[in-house]
Amino acid sequence: MLYLFLTFVVLLLMVTGTRGFTLLFGLGINIISIVALLILIADGFNVLITTGIISMIILIVAIYMNVDNANTANTAFKTSLIIMVVILLITIPLEYWASAQGMAAENQDELEGFSLAAGLSYPQLAISIIVINSLGVISETSVAITSGLNEIVENKPTLTPSEIFDDGFSVGNKILNTQTNTLLFNFFASTFPLFFLIHTLNYKFGDIINDKLVVAEILTTLICTIGVILTVPITSYLIYRKAGKKNSK
Amino acid sequence: MRKNLRVLLIVGLSIIFVTGLTYFDSFLYRDPVVKVQQVTNLNKSTSTDEYKNTDTQVTQRVSGKLLNGSNKGKNVSFKNTYYKSQLTDTKYRVGQQVILIKSGKSYAPKNVKRDTSIVFTLGLVVFLLFCMKFDRKKLFISILINLVIYYGYLQIIIKTHNSVLLPLTVITALLISATALLVILGPTYPAIMAYSSTVISTTAAILLSIFVLAISGYSGVHLELNDFELQPYLGVFLSQVIFSVLGVILDETMDISSSLIEMKKELSDVEEKTLFKSGINIGRELIGPLINILLFIVIAENLNIVLLYLSNGNSIGYTVNMTLSLGITQLLISAIGIVLTVPITSFIASKIITRRLN
Repeated sequence: MLYLFLTFVVLLLMVTGTRGFTLLFGLGINIISIVALLILIADGFNVLITTGIISMIILIVAIYMNVDNANTANTAFKTSLIIMVVILLITIPLEYWASAQGMAAENQDELEGFSLAAGLSYPQLAISIIVINSLGVISETSVAITSGLNEIVENKPTLTPSEIFDDGFSVGNKILNTQTNTLLFNFFASTFPLFFLIHTLNYKFGDIINDKLVVAEILTTLICTIGVILTVPITSYLIYRKAGKKNSK
Repeated sequence: MRKNLRVLLIVGLSIIFVTGLTYFDSFLYRDPVVKVQQVTNLNKSTSTDEYKNTDTQVTQRVSGKLLNGSNKGKNVSFKNTYYKSQLTDTKYRVGQQVILIKSGKSYAPKNVKRDTSIVFTLGLVVFLLFCMKFDRKKLFISILINLVIYYGYLQIIIKTHNSVLLPLTVITALLISATALLVILGPTYPAIMAYSSTVISTTAAILLSIFVLAISGYSGVHLELNDFELQPYLGVFLSQVIFSVLGVILDETMDISSSLIEMKKELSDVEEKTLFKSGINIGRELIGPLINILLFIVIAENLNIVLLYLSNGNSIGYTVNMTLSLGITQLLISAIGIVLTVPITSFIASKIITRRLN
């Protein structure tokens, strides 16, 4: 694995030059934040609050270290924060309703020999899993839409709000398509072993559609998609408000 | 505007209708389904385990009315024991529908009935898409075709007992990326450009990584610790890598090649070398965010098992080694792919664009 890591670093520096160091630094901070999240949750801190705080740090790093234009970065950060809160608000009732937390009978081999009285709230962790899953997709989507839309708005300073929204959707269409692909293909990656196992366990359709692990995967993919969809109107609105302020001056 | 509202109303109502259907679909189930009407806690005991985790074990008596079968309407009850942390067990609540197993005269819980919540969430996604001016047709078509391909893939790997997993994954990956590109870009030469770049970059990244891993004798990579310990280990692992990185690399190649086409249209006398260089410059900005996407997906997927290890008194080093080594290896291969895509796409795109548009 060390060799693989070295290969990655060498290739990265060859392609990106000195910018590679900034990239590695950003990745390093993200990994440290994740480790901090793990330790804090394992030590018994409230799962949701810890996730919220760490996610905010991650979003700051992911957006401000990758975007040079301060204007774009600010709007993108605001958008991703709003989306993160919306995702939390959607996920909490949905997870409560579906109770798709933790692990299931399919994980039996992995669970052997463990004390299952873990003392931390797996229903809350299920919510945190969806939020963390969405962080990368959301920050990338909001940056892409903000920078695309900003470019249009700066070139035509007198845009009506409906024009800004229209432009937002034309920029957003392609991004929505590519991000759904990313989410869908990752769903394929994580579920094909699961479906294979389910087949060997002789599940019927009714068992599959109600299975805890399958439902958890589907919920994650769907809720992340909701995050991506909502990024477009929220970004458009924020940019419209900013443009409006400039015009009134 | 009024027409839009009418469409929204129709979509909204049909979603509520379908969600409602799944709420009353228990007659489709062969297993008995119960609607929980009363829950009483029989026993509560708080214990601290050897790792100083304090948890409370609760035994509840759950009773309710059967919703299907020959005993429909009959009151049944069962006992359920759960830890408050609910790692593998579930706390049942009033109002929930629970699928049961009947053994003799007594019932035991099998699963919470989750289909209503899934259908509702799916409906929410569709409704939001209809609320906004997205190009829904394209999106639905590409998702539908890809799901059909994935279903076929699953059927074949099940029938062949996983024996030709990797070649099948490669074929499936070729098909789903072609579908995605054809739907987004249409049968145009940018699509072919992005497709060839995607295929070459992914192949290069995976071959290079296998080579590097083989040199180090797969040290520190526990291939056997994949989800559900499915065999063949290397095949399952590589298949997961291919699926997970594909979407991101597609995104990258499309971004780079479409920006270069724009550039060529604006400055028709631009040279191949300049195009290649700007391709690298554009790609540079994409690497960080794309690696981030996969980083968080990998971490999130393993969060349950990581915390189980940590709460069982394992050190963070051992936990990462046992639970995340595969994920990190997967991430590194993906990252190599994301980096390699930049020069490969810039090279292919600059060559093809200069020839095509001259």
